[in-house]
Amino acid sequence: MIKRLLAGAAAIGAIGGLGFLYYAWYPPIEPVEAPDPGSFSAEQIERGRIVAAEGYCAECHTRTDGSGGPELAGDYKMETPFGAIYSSNITPDLETGIGNWSEEAFQRAMHLGVSRKGVHLIPAFPFDHFTKMTEQDVSDLYAYLMTRPAVHMTHRTNELPFPLSLRILQAGWKLLYFTPGVYKPDPRHDALWNRGAYLSEGNAHCGACHTPRDFMGAEKKSAPYDGAVVDNWIAPPLNEHNPTPTTWTEDELFQYLRFGVAPLHGPAGGPMSPVPHRFLSTVPEEDVHAIAHYFADVDHAAEREKHDKAALALAMEQSKTDLIGPSVDPDAKLYQGACAACHYNAAPSPVLGRPDLALNNALWLSEPTNLYQVILHGLTAEEGQTGVAMPSFYNALSDQDMARIAGYLRRTRTTLPPWTDLEKKAAAVRKTITTIPVNSSH
Amino acid sequence: MVKFKLNGRDVSVDVPDDTPLLWALRDDLDLTGTKFGCGVGQCGACTVLVGGRATRSCITPLSSLEGADVTTIEGLDPNGKHAVQEAWKDIQVPQCGYCQSGQIMQAVSLLKDYPDPTDEEIDGVMGGSLCRCMTYVRIRKAIKKAAAALRKEEPSNG
Amino acid sequence: MGKLERIAAQQDRAAGRGPSRRSFLLTAAGSAFLFGFARQGKAAQVYPQDAPAALQEASAFEPTIWCSIAPDGWVNVNIIRAEMGQHIGTALARIIADEMEADWNKVRITYVDTDPKWGLMITGGSWSVWMTWDQFRQAGAAARTVMVEQGAKLLGVAPSACIARNGQVIAGSRSIGYGDIVSRAHPTKTYTPEEMAKLPLKPASEHRLIGKDVKALDIPSKTNGTAIYGIDAKLDGMVYARPKLPPTRYGSKVVSVDDSEAKKVKGYIRYIVLEDPSDTVPGWVAVLASSYPAAIRATDALKVVWTPGKTANITEQDILDYGRKQIANKAGGSRVFNDPGVDETFAKAAKVVEQTYTCSSVLHYQLEPMNALARQHEGKWEVHCGNQWQTLFLPVIAKALQVPESEVVMRSYLLGGGFGRRLNGDYAVPAALISEAIGGKPVKLIFTRSDDVLFDSIRSPSVQTVRAALGQDGAITAWQHHASAGWPTRVMASAFMEKGEDGKPYDQFAIAGADHWYDVGPMLVRALDNDLASDTFRPGWLRSVSSGWTPWAHESFLDEIAYARKLDPVDYRLSLLDSKGRNAGSAPNSVGGASRQANVLRHLVEKCGYGKVSLPADTAIGIATTFGQERNMPTWTAGAVQVHVDRKTGVVTCQKIWLVLDAGTIIDPDGAAAQTEGGALWGLSMALFEGTEIVDGNVRDRNLNTYTPLRIADVPEMDVEFLPSTEKPMGLGEPGVTTIAPAVGNAIFNAVGVRLRHLPIRPADVLKGLKEKGNA
Ligand code: FES
Ligand code: FES
Repeated sequence: MIKRLLAGAAAIGAIGGLGFLYYAWYPPIEPVEAPDPGSFSAEQIERGRIVAAEGYCAECHTRTDGSGGPELAGDYKMETPFGAIYSSNITPDLETGIGNWSEEAFQRAMHLGVSRKGVHLIPAFPFDHFTKMTEQDVSDLYAYLMTRPAVHMTHRTNELPFPLSLRILQAGWKLLYFTPGVYKPDPRHDALWNRGAYLSEGNAHCGACHTPRDFMGAEKKSAPYDGAVVDNWIAPPLNEHNPTPTTWTEDELFQYLRFGVAPLHGPAGGPMSPVPHRFLSTVPEEDVHAIAHYFADVDHAAEREKHDKAALALAMEQSKTDLIGPSVDPDAKLYQGACAACHYNAAPSPVLGRPDLALNNALWLSEPTNLYQVILHGLTAEEGQTGVAMPSFYNALSDQDMARIAGYLRRTRTTLPPWTDLEKKAAAVRKTITTIPVNSSH
Repeated sequence: MVKFKLNGRDVSVDVPDDTPLLWALRDDLDLTGTKFGCGVGQCGACTVLVGGRATRSCITPLSSLEGADVTTIEGLDPNGKHAVQEAWKDIQVPQCGYCQSGQIMQAVSLLKDYPDPTDEEIDGVMGGSLCRCMTYVRIRKAIKKAAAALRKEEPSNG
Repeated sequence: MGKLERIAAQQDRAAGRGPSRRSFLLTAAGSAFLFGFARQGKAAQVYPQDAPAALQEASAFEPTIWCSIAPDGWVNVNIIRAEMGQHIGTALARIIADEMEADWNKVRITYVDTDPKWGLMITGGSWSVWMTWDQFRQAGAAARTVMVEQGAKLLGVAPSACIARNGQVIAGSRSIGYGDIVSRAHPTKTYTPEEMAKLPLKPASEHRLIGKDVKALDIPSKTNGTAIYGIDAKLDGMVYARPKLPPTRYGSKVVSVDDSEAKKVKGYIRYIVLEDPSDTVPGWVAVLASSYPAAIRATDALKVVWTPGKTANITEQDILDYGRKQIANKAGGSRVFNDPGVDETFAKAAKVVEQTYTCSSVLHYQLEPMNALARQHEGKWEVHCGNQWQTLFLPVIAKALQVPESEVVMRSYLLGGGFGRRLNGDYAVPAALISEAIGGKPVKLIFTRSDDVLFDSIRSPSVQTVRAALGQDGAITAWQHHASAGWPTRVMASAFMEKGEDGKPYDQFAIAGADHWYDVGPMLVRALDNDLASDTFRPGWLRSVSSGWTPWAHESFLDEIAYARKLDPVDYRLSLLDSKGRNAGSAPNSVGGASRQANVLRHLVEKCGYGKVSLPADTAIGIATTFGQERNMPTWTAGAVQVHVDRKTGVVTCQKIWLVLDAGTIIDPDGAAAQTEGGALWGLSMALFEGTEIVDGNVRDRNLNTYTPLRIADVPEMDVEFLPSTEKPMGLGEPGVTTIAPAVGNAIFNAVGVRLRHLPIRPADVLKGLKEKGNA
């Protein structure tokens, strides 16, 4: 994702011109003394906590590589093909954080993507979504951040080469793609829907991962929520193009977002895992309902749901394929040995903790990426369904073995055309894993 | 250092985080009832319960167990008298016995999901647990026996 | 002397032991409590686990080395066989306890460590019960006799007025327990072997434990994690090791070792290039680490350059081709049977028919990977592990360490599967050598599964050609069976090979089964040592050894002949099992001879309805019959298998297996059934599910990702029956295997008319056969 953003920014560099410079120019805003934490009410701070959780601030503003870093102190490493970039410290430290930002500066950053000093922020910071937040929400967020412990920490130097390192280029990108403005409720829908839309489109910035981007790295307005590749995972489509045989209904979505596991679709893994576990499980339940309600509309759940009964019955039938009675298909045997003890299901529907692959996004996406990711990483007890772990098959299955499993499942558990180049893709996904999860034998 | 619950007690083991649970259990926690068979998650000899669900410990890194609840064959029942164990003794399931800790743990988990399992359900879930002595006929019988005993113990609420 | 006794005697001679030491000599009361010394590693397993921890050894009465009676009435039985799933301790203890009229609730068994006093320690060939039967009954009788004599004295009556029952000596209404007898009379009676052999034994009708169901004493421990296997052995201060295997089994030489990457693994200690005087592990490097996971990773990271041995490019096909050539050459090999008139009869036959049958390599894949813990302790080299042939094990370790055999002891643990793999103690050699290299400190060597498979002593691929001379009427007038395979016994225990009619040694475990009980005129049975196989890998004994594959040839071939002659294969076999000449059988092992084989076959046919029941399309029953393992220890076996063949996919599904066996006296009916079920499923697994091949000098499959033994969903319906008998008990660990593959082959033919001559049977072979048949 980042790669495309930056490429886009580079292309804009050619536009140039005075008018552009005028558009691009923002004045610095004077530094202030760090506001007294006591000046914020407890209610406001709590509201701010919720806003921070619903925007997953800590996810990108906390270092995770090496031995990690203090929460919100930045230095989170985002890999790009040009070099890594590092997120900023958003604790109220005066020198290295945002302690000397006035609320005005903070509002401007959130709504317009410009730093206190007037520098354009890289759109990896999703201000194109945050611009939709109300002033009140941003103000509450400010209160929350300013009352966090200040951490003195400078992030590592971005490794972007010239001219990508020229922040001015970001302005060109904005000119083309950025529409500032707070969310406007849609009168055709009720309050719950509008609350969901406000959160999803704004603070929760769902589209940042789930909407594909064009060659300039901007979310394609024509294909909202069509799914995209993020961090070597596929963020699946959230609209009617979501391919799973049963619908993401409001309830499935709610369970998934709130608890990290949907009864039919299975657990949240990879980069999605923190969304429920770290964040949405800590916010008011109505907000999660609102998001679920909104996406159930986005994916046309109401129309699609009527096929679910038959789809579920079929999936339950497929779940048994080659596991019931003798089988000599070597691929089926591999699946039986490595996976089926946990993934086999019998009618009428999957048991909680026994995700059925015939219903899971991973098998129905255009590429086996997510399937491979989960196989290689497994899931920790904190991810997916809380307290339950899936082992890491990193050492247990070769690329060839993974390819066999992927091919086998696609052919026996879905109605979709086969994936291609399975072994090569397995090797490619394996390569993205730098720290081997488990030191097991073979 | 990862902290988790093992057979009801809080433990933490001072070994690298990528250590498979299997070896931490066997070599550091002195619980050798959990066995090493294939090392690649395909024989089931190393099966333990994590969060009540059967899990192949040979490929489960300790790092993924923070806060988890792990049960091994030694902790299944304080007296070794879990209904599944009792059925296993009654039917004389084990031969060499090496796979049986894993078989029992897998069966316990099967019975949670399918309290009255059909042959198909037994095949589907137990198919991952290899018994090289081929005690399968008895495993099936014992599972059904244990299921009946458990159903008596815990009359269904519905 | 039976084959086994001969082997035992040979081993004793080789070890410089007199035969008298080997057999059940009596020791004085109170001597030699076996395992009184403190030991860290838990061995000498005792069952049931809640039996009194220690017999009061000082006061226990030990009428023979095999059992003792303590003052508290508990009887200890010493078991020198390996426990690998047969519950052998329970079965053997039943024999002794029955004969001595012990109280079964006070019997415990001890799986002992090696000691010269035990004589031959081997567990294989399904021999255990058969070879212990007389010995343990006599030992039991000795104990009973002493109890009755001493008990009578204490009760003040004549011994003839007493009976022994359930751990008591009873005279009318009065009785005294065995424990009391021991504590009050302190018996010390001893017998000479001659005296012992003369003791009257109970008739079968008086058996009170033998033949009755029993709960095996070792089973509870195998349901709660407390059973201790070799891999569970632990000693203070031990380090872990993993082998780094060379590219070929033999002849690889280490050129260089680079551990710069291995050094980055936390816990890595060092590597050792093993120097092995026994040449068991040539070209091996071992990696030491403070934990096993560290050893796994460091071994992966260690870079070793070898010059490979000369078999680096050998394939399975090369080995089979070589076998075919050996068979085509009339010279060579050993003639197990070479009856007068074979050549003449073939020369003047109206017709000669012949077929060739082949079998792929098979892995043991015993579930517990190879491992051993070794150290030098109190002047002895101690190896902690499970093993099936301790008597063969010790000399190899001694040779590797260049010490006398008396300085090596093996501590016995349970075996997580044997199946013949652990008859070969090769896996303990590197452990001993590593310990030697670090000054005798304890080291536990564990093979990962792929290490284990690479180092497996596999069941050799085999080629067999069977030829029959037919008379004018089509009847068989003479028979030839030529079999080529790697010979495990030549490689691992050459002194114990049999001699053929031609005086040449041969591996009985690479031909047994071909020496069948059919009357087919003069027979030539020729065993050929496929030395290309044994150069490439170390051929192993695998459950039911050659009797697991020779019947594939002759039992398929008989069906082929019967079909050609339009005869019913069962009737045809029955006509050949006429019990004449050498097939009449002899006491004590084969009383009744071929007539008993005919008998199990008739029972089987009644049971399964072969030829009578009508089955759906492409579904049929096939039958086969064998004598289990060995001519001298026949377990009469008949097996039927019902299969369905899917014409579209070529997939063969086994729906049901029937087995009828006559194994003489059955000691533990439930255990016997378990062994036979397991054996039959092994047979099915090797027929349809598993099998590997040699590629570039090594087996192709390394783990379960591609090696696919039978699993629970593959299990067919099963019906196993033992015919009642009071004859001497034969073996049951293996016979269940023997009939299945040919019965499957015959059933496929009966279902769709396709004759397959290679094991395992793959769908592709069936499809090919169907296609050829369609075109024919
Ligand atoms: S050892 Fe873990 S599944 Fe085989
Ligand atoms: S009892 Fe031996 S592997 Fe199952």
